[in-house]
Amino acid sequence: MMMRRFPVVVALASAVVLHAGAQQAPTGTRAVVEALASERFEGRLAGSNGERMAGDYIASQLAKIGAKPLPGRDGYFLPFDFTAGSRDGGSSLTVASALHPSAFKTTADVQALSFSDNAEVSGPVVFAGYGIVVPDSQNFGYDNYAGLDVKNKIVLVLRYFPEDADQKTRAILARYADLRYKAMAARQRGAVAMLVVAGPHSPNAGDTIPMSFDTALAGSGLVAASISGKVAGEIFSAAPENTLDAAQKALDSGNPHVPGFTFPNLTVTVRADVVREKQSGRNVAAYLPATDAPGNSADNAEKPWVVLGAHYDHLGRGANGNSLAGKDEMGRVHFGADDNASGTAAVLAIGEELSRQPRRRNVMLTLWSGEEFGLIGSSAFMATPPIPTDRIEAYLNFDMVGRMQDNKLTVQALGTSPVWAKIIEQANVSAGFDLQLQQDPYQPTDVASFNLASVPCLTFFTGTHADYHRPTDTADKIDYADLDRVVRFAASITRKLEDLDRAPQFTKVDQSLPSGAGRAGVRVFTGTIPDYSTEMKGLLLSGVIGGGPAEQAGLQKGDVIVEIAGQSITNIYDYTFALELLKIGQPAKVVYLRNGQRKDTTLTPAARK
Amino acid sequence: MAVMCIFGQIPSAPPPQYKESDFLTRVRRLTVEGKRAGEGYWSPDGQRIVFQSEREPGNPFYQIYTLDLSTGETARVSPGIGKTTCPFFRPGSDEILFASTHADPKSKELQDEELAFRASGKERRYSWDYDPEMDIYVYSQKTDALKRLTTARGYDAEGSYSPDGQWIVFSSMRNAYNRTLSAEEQKLLEVNPSYFAEIFIMHADGSGQKQLTNTAGYDGGPFFTPDGSRIVWRRFDEKGLIADVWTMKPDGSDQKRITDFGSMSWAPYMHPSGEYILFASNKLGFENFEIFMVDSQGTKEPVRVTYSDGFDGLPVPSPDGTRLAWTSSRSGGAAGQLFLADWNHEKALEAIRRAPLRKPKS
Ligand SMILES: [Zn+2]
Repeated sequence: MMMRRFPVVVALASAVVLHAGAQQAPTGTRAVVEALASERFEGRLAGSNGERMAGDYIASQLAKIGAKPLPGRDGYFLPFDFTAGSRDGGSSLTVASALHPSAFKTTADVQALSFSDNAEVSGPVVFAGYGIVVPDSQNFGYDNYAGLDVKNKIVLVLRYFPEDADQKTRAILARYADLRYKAMAARQRGAVAMLVVAGPHSPNAGDTIPMSFDTALAGSGLVAASISGKVAGEIFSAAPENTLDAAQKALDSGNPHVPGFTFPNLTVTVRADVVREKQSGRNVAAYLPATDAPGNSADNAEKPWVVLGAHYDHLGRGANGNSLAGKDEMGRVHFGADDNASGTAAVLAIGEELSRQPRRRNVMLTLWSGEEFGLIGSSAFMATPPIPTDRIEAYLNFDMVGRMQDNKLTVQALGTSPVWAKIIEQANVSAGFDLQLQQDPYQPTDVASFNLASVPCLTFFTGTHADYHRPTDTADKIDYADLDRVVRFAASITRKLEDLDRAPQFTKVDQSLPSGAGRAGVRVFTGTIPDYSTEMKGLLLSGVIGGGPAEQAGLQKGDVIVEIAGQSITNIYDYTFALELLKIGQPAKVVYLRNGQRKDTTLTPAARK
Repeated sequence: MAVMCIFGQIPSAPPPQYKESDFLTRVRRLTVEGKRAGEGYWSPDGQRIVFQSEREPGNPFYQIYTLDLSTGETARVSPGIGKTTCPFFRPGSDEILFASTHADPKSKELQDEELAFRASGKERRYSWDYDPEMDIYVYSQKTDALKRLTTARGYDAEGSYSPDGQWIVFSSMRNAYNRTLSAEEQKLLEVNPSYFAEIFIMHADGSGQKQLTNTAGYDGGPFFTPDGSRIVWRRFDEKGLIADVWTMKPDGSDQKRITDFGSMSWAPYMHPSGEYILFASNKLGFENFEIFMVDSQGTKEPVRVTYSDGFDGLPVPSPDGTRLAWTSSRSGGAAGQLFLADWNHEKALEAIRRAPLRKPKS
């Protein structure tokens, strides 16, 4: 009985609170972080019940500040649909040769790739090596389809890229070894299906590929599936003078002249069935109307806007592949106190502060969902903007701002406008941070969505740490005094933006990543936690994962990796790229700086599934 | 037992090891705008800093700005054209001193040349060119008036006031231009003009200019000690590779070597307590400048203060001795910016007390 009456009492109490309105003392960053990072919200996975409850909580906080629903809306929620994941709904494959037809049905033998079309196709099979085509523009001359006619046929390709090729060859081929890129190459040549097998000399040899989380809604225009070594063996039995083992060996030197071939007297039928789980998430948005905007448009939406945003979603229990939970932590709630209850609390606190002052521009407070799935919430906002995006004069983003170390605050995307340097300089004289400034707006957070829409933007970040994307990112580890300093700093930057006579000018920053083709994806595990906050030469480690290869190699927080397996490392991109080329289980020499001294060690990478 | 053990260890303990946070806390970056900034000097009330920065649109060289530490506002106090350097607040007045080349009719041309060079994408190693057109000026913040104090051909710069605001010490290369140089000297002037630099003193109105040093090699960067009784400066050897900190009386007598550090030790500035001198040295590597400190008499070995990658130099303590402004490239890139931190004076005194005695070498 008591249990049943208790919630009623709580409901009454909260009704009273809402009535109190402006008299209510601000909730404070600590209370917001503790609420969002509590067990109750179950890690706030976009589309989950925990995310819905967290959204409701945020809406109540926005109401408390006195923020209004966006013009023309009567609520704070901006729902959007997305693909939360995919699973195999029962793909199958039959091999019909003159000798012995055989059928396969389990995911251990045949599994659709997440981007496959749902269809059944039959045809002869062509072995096309690694299925890699290096574009002519690279002047490298590597085309596994050279001399092959695959029109209306099924291609069988090896996963990854030639294992024993020299460093330079591997470096180039790795760039075109992404499965989506291989599928595109097959489709462009008229193939109806692509089968992928991890060869006996590759990592994950003979295994099918688990259905990866993939947010793409569209298929790739062909049937694509991974098959086991057993199924591939069955297909190869149609070519008695050849084996998968021998075929891979011939290719692994990187020799570009190993021809593909058609299996004689063989027809394969493959049916792919991908079930894409559609879900819907909610951005939460409200605004503080301008009190004396320049010009006098009666339409609030037409007045200039400054947008403040942070994502409030996190990883739930970490089932979607981007969790870094250790073995003993798997399946537990990922509280996401720093990522990104801290940023959410910051946006609410800045809003609270600004709500008490006159404003020359509308201030929008947006809390995104779907960020951890790939900036889905902020992209959806930009795709169907609730206000004209050309009226958004600036965007400030907060992602992981609760774990300051040594007074260091990273501010990124300064290259998006010439106004930032002066504004940040002025605001920091009293804020007093040891600023780490970066021009690059191509960051793995919602600021990227605004940069793409040509909005001057900044993103604030206090650096990564060993609890990143693990269940141990909890509210008790947040440094609230410094979080409140970030709030005051950003509020002062927002006020300076409000005071500008003209809209800040947007400047485009060139992307420093090699673009174009896909990437094979990092397949090795080293257990290093890079520090993304500096632009220093080399890769500064903000930590190593306990028991991982890096720790075993004696690397520690503060070390700067400058070379790995003979590849010099000047930035995070070089590092990611060098990792792609490492071989699992094969020791690699790592050169690093510790307290300015050059040292080296040997690191043995483990496999990442 | 435990207590005994601890006591027993003290005499054989190795020299104490420090880290940056022992001396500097709440490190913060003060300047962001512009390609580089540095040489920050405090106003006597500790409320403002005057510094040089490359941030004037259309001018690729340093201009002089004041930064208000309560509002974060900056204001340019130099003419905006030409090159400037080495500002200093005049105590007890509204005046600010700095060196400038704006009177050179070629100023605009030189700016455009440098801008074109940078636009071409080429990079040159940053170096200071000791422009012979550089002269010392004083600017009145009240009236905006700019008064020229030196006229001699040759670089006149690196000026600073005595605590009573009545005297200016500075560095000048005029001796390379006021007589006929030998062929050997002429060659020296081309490759290493600072060889001719000596310390001078003058009245605050520019009168009575008098040479205080007379040794081969760059004598520069002079500042009065807080009580005005001495001048602290750095003296390079003839080749310009080794420099050490020296002090002397304002009449040029009693020249005394403070460091013998076998490296480029320069930009000395005495802490307001008068107890120690902060300076920069590349003791740890030719391009790795760090800030050190040494007792005012130079009886001890210097103690290292900064421990960060990149350049750290030009340390200037606040008038109340509780903060330190300096120039650093710790935030990345080759160009320096102005930094500020809280200064732990007690810890500094203790570290100096515990420093080993200087080994007699010279
Ligand atoms: Zn995250």
